[in-house]
Amino acid sequence: MTSLLRWLGAALLLAGAAFLLSDYHNDVYRKLLLWVTLALSYNFLFGICGQIAFSHFAFYGIGAYSVVIFLFQFHLPFPLAILLGIALCILFALAVAIPSTRLEGFYLALATLALAQLFIVVLNEGGAVTGGPGGLANYKLPEILGTRIRGPWYTAVIVLLLLGTLAVLWRLDCSWFGRACRAVRDNPEAAAAMGVDVARTKVIAFTLTSALAGIAGMVYAFVDNTVNPPIFGLDNAFLLLFMVIVGGAGRHAGAILGAALLFLLPFVLSPLIGHHHVLVFGGLVVVAILLQPRGLVGLYDAIRRHP
Amino acid sequence: MQDFLELAVSAAASGCIYGLIALAYLLMIRPTGIINFAVGEWAMVGAFGGYLLLSKFEWPYPLGMAAVLVFMLGVGWLTERIAVRPLVERGAPLLAPILALLGMLVVFREAISVSFPPDPHPVPYALGIQHQSFFIIAVTSVVFIGVWLFFERSVAGKSFEAVAIHRRAAALMGINLSRVTALSFAGGAGAAGLAGLLVSPNVSAHYLMGVPLAIQGFTALVIGGVGRVEGALLGGLLLAFAEQLTVRYAPIPAGYAQGVPLLLLMMFLLVRPTGLLRAK
Repeated sequence: MTSLLRWLGAALLLAGAAFLLSDYHNDVYRKLLLWVTLALSYNFLFGICGQIAFSHFAFYGIGAYSVVIFLFQFHLPFPLAILLGIALCILFALAVAIPSTRLEGFYLALATLALAQLFIVVLNEGGAVTGGPGGLANYKLPEILGTRIRGPWYTAVIVLLLLGTLAVLWRLDCSWFGRACRAVRDNPEAAAAMGVDVARTKVIAFTLTSALAGIAGMVYAFVDNTVNPPIFGLDNAFLLLFMVIVGGAGRHAGAILGAALLFLLPFVLSPLIGHHHVLVFGGLVVVAILLQPRGLVGLYDAIRRHP
Repeated sequence: MQDFLELAVSAAASGCIYGLIALAYLLMIRPTGIINFAVGEWAMVGAFGGYLLLSKFEWPYPLGMAAVLVFMLGVGWLTERIAVRPLVERGAPLLAPILALLGMLVVFREAISVSFPPDPHPVPYALGIQHQSFFIIAVTSVVFIGVWLFFERSVAGKSFEAVAIHRRAAALMGINLSRVTALSFAGGAGAAGLAGLLVSPNVSAHYLMGVPLAIQGFTALVIGGVGRVEGALLGGLLLAFAEQLTVRYAPIPAGYAQGVPLLLLMMFLLVRPTGLLRAK
């Protein structure tokens, strides 16, 4: 009961903040919430299950594009479009994950790198269906029960998405599946000896987090009411990985902290160094891995232990 | 027939480029187990080295090529020093250097993007446009014969192989592990930089050229198999022929040819995950 109240309080607090912000700040706030959502699900895949994948942002794009295409190119009803979008994400995720588990090592990373690259190619070459390099624009969120959610109320939807994602991942992390994922990350041989099906655990974790990214992408599609190829490029896939590493891989708090820091840092850095903040991020990651592999959360723990 | 011959020569040339990138991966994976995603970025740095020395300062080609090669060996050595050695010495898990190298990938790319204007930079041909393919094939052959001889005929090469087979046992036999690692990274950067320099006259040096090369090179490596040096070249050639034949004869837009590596990668991982050539 108290935990339910806590979730409710968090929802009210985060959503309430949206009503106090101006339009511009609301936009920044929404994107921050979406990045945190993505970082949380990516953290489960990379930090907790130990798989490097570069496709998380591509699945975000697949979700966004599929819901827009199903709704406005094929004119399907809203619930069906969402279900088909999720099914599409799951299908692609299985197609990449199952072959990649055939070999030890980091084959998933390269298979997903190729998938992310191919996704951009398909978007650019897709002609009228994907809108080509210009993408799709000028559409609106369909009315649900006669009302159209807009303004701060849409921010509240994103807050629900964020908390829903966190709740799902939290429950999973505390279940046997979460422990199986950590075991697979730390020592696959020992995990297999304990009766964990390593390949299946990896495939399920990859598919599940990819589907979560796809759902976040569907919500994103109606934030700017435009989807285009550059948004879903590889740069953002790297940025997502860096957020989790800098924040602290394997910890939900780390993902939130890293996402918030790396998303907000450019706003602070831009006046100083222009658009070269990615260079700073790359350096930051190298420094983080060399000096504090457990990221900012690890740094916080260390300070608390030896004040 | 004429048409097909031209296609074969051009496919062989791009196959050699993929083979060199695959060789760069292989040189580092064999002794250390580290997949270094930055090889594509190294190729990009090599291409920009070619632009700077050959186009801007107009050095003679052999001198410029040698300078780029030496510079790349240094880059590889330095990368290993910064991002790999401290982690290996600390006994960090294998994932740590791979992630640190990912950070280095971004550092390389952004450093180049900051230092040069964003438009493509021309790099001159070695002997003229009609001979570039043959030049690529000749240089790649020399590199592969050299590497093959090194691994098969020299004691230093055998020590690499020993480290690849069993790290601890090799260390106990008195092989200097950190020197092998440093050399493998220097060699990897040299091969990748050479690939970038050779491919750049056709595509121009651009700071985003790295990732596609990294994917194609890796696909070549999976096709050929991680175990043998010849596998890298074989995989590169097969991939390039598959790509070019698709572009030439299949009724799909040229952009989709970039999907060929992904499909081949998936197919090989499913059907023959060890690649065509097995380790001896």
